[in-house]
Amino acid sequence: MSENARDTTLHIPHRIDWRLWLMRLLSLAGIGVSAYLTWTHLAHQSVACGQSQDCDIVQQSVYSEVAGIPVALLGLIAYAVLFVLTLLRGRVPDPWGDYVPLAIFGISLIGVLYSAYLTYLELFVIHAICRWCVSSAVIITAIFLLSLPDLRAEVDAA
Amino acid sequence: MASRKKIRRSTKQKRGGISTTHILIVAGVAVLVVGLLVVLNANRSQTTVTDLVYETGVTPDGEPYKGSPDAALQLVEYSDFLCGHCGNFADALDNLSPDYIETGKLQVVFRNYAFLAPESLQAAQAVECALDQGADKFWLYHDLLFANRGTGMGVYSKPRLKAYARDVGLDTQAFGECLDSGAKLAEIQADKAEGESQGVEATPTWFIDGQMVRGGRPESELRQILDGLLSQAP
Repeated sequence: MSENARDTTLHIPHRIDWRLWLMRLLSLAGIGVSAYLTWTHLAHQSVACGQSQDCDIVQQSVYSEVAGIPVALLGLIAYAVLFVLTLLRGRVPDPWGDYVPLAIFGISLIGVLYSAYLTYLELFVIHAICRWCVSSAVIITAIFLLSLPDLRAEVDAA
Repeated sequence: MASRKKIRRSTKQKRGGISTTHILIVAGVAVLVVGLLVVLNANRSQTTVTDLVYETGVTPDGEPYKGSPDAALQLVEYSDFLCGHCGNFADALDNLSPDYIETGKLQVVFRNYAFLAPESLQAAQAVECALDQGADKFWLYHDLLFANRGTGMGVYSKPRLKAYARDVGLDTQAFGECLDSGAKLAEIQADKAEGESQGVEATPTWFIDGQMVRGGRPESELRQILDGLLSQAP
């Protein structure tokens, strides 16, 4: 009984460990970027952007908030949840453990799709590119891609 | 090694894990969530200003004006962008524009009198930077600043001022460099000193045909004042 219980909590295949670690690091990087953008937005500070004014233009545009909530803050929450989920991966007993990779997949998919929309706005509506926002888009896309093999492994195992 | 085998075995023996259906449902929910975010984001109304329909230019002493320089009346206003009454006064002048400014009866000259708070100084510098790119740009920018007054703290913070510059079609690079350099500070202080020498102590203070009026006036009263002066004009 006790051995079975231990087994079911450890169903994470060894080969995905490096991906999990990379996802944790990327989530931390995402937390850093979005926390900085949240602070500059709420404190009305200029965003470090080299010689360009583009970051401020994007950060203070009407598209930088959704229903009064800064988009950067939504990103911060998403990255924080993703970081917690990557820590929980392999540590949550079944059946809930199965849903951790599914949650990482779902949240990062939302991030990828919304980042695509925001990048479209920067290119074709605001006509200014915020390099911090682009780096966040790259981070969330990487997390999404890294989540896929783990999800595939879960489906195969089911 | 043995424990890894155990892990693999347990993985194979799992029951009731996630399936393709689960993934499709989560992907569908993700698309719905993003759709909702996009709709909420796109519904944000943006405060915009309309195109200018009056003549604009710069007086010989470098102050921006709207309306004909040959107008029968000249109104010189001293204003602070953080001052609510100044915004109301600007609105009243805007409402009178079709009857007085656009018809060549009234010329309005703007002068900064930034005294309320540090953001007043920033906004004043910003309009001067906008003026560098043309009197028409100045008035568009002026209107947008007043249109956004009272929208919370930091309404005239540097990042916001730069965003407004983009909204009215300014060269954002040149504008940003001008604002960051503080190059207009001396000019703003000179404007304020000039106002003080004429007896200005607060805003809005305005001069109509050389006569000083302290405080704003509602549109109806302004109309009466202008009509009275126009009837006396030669």
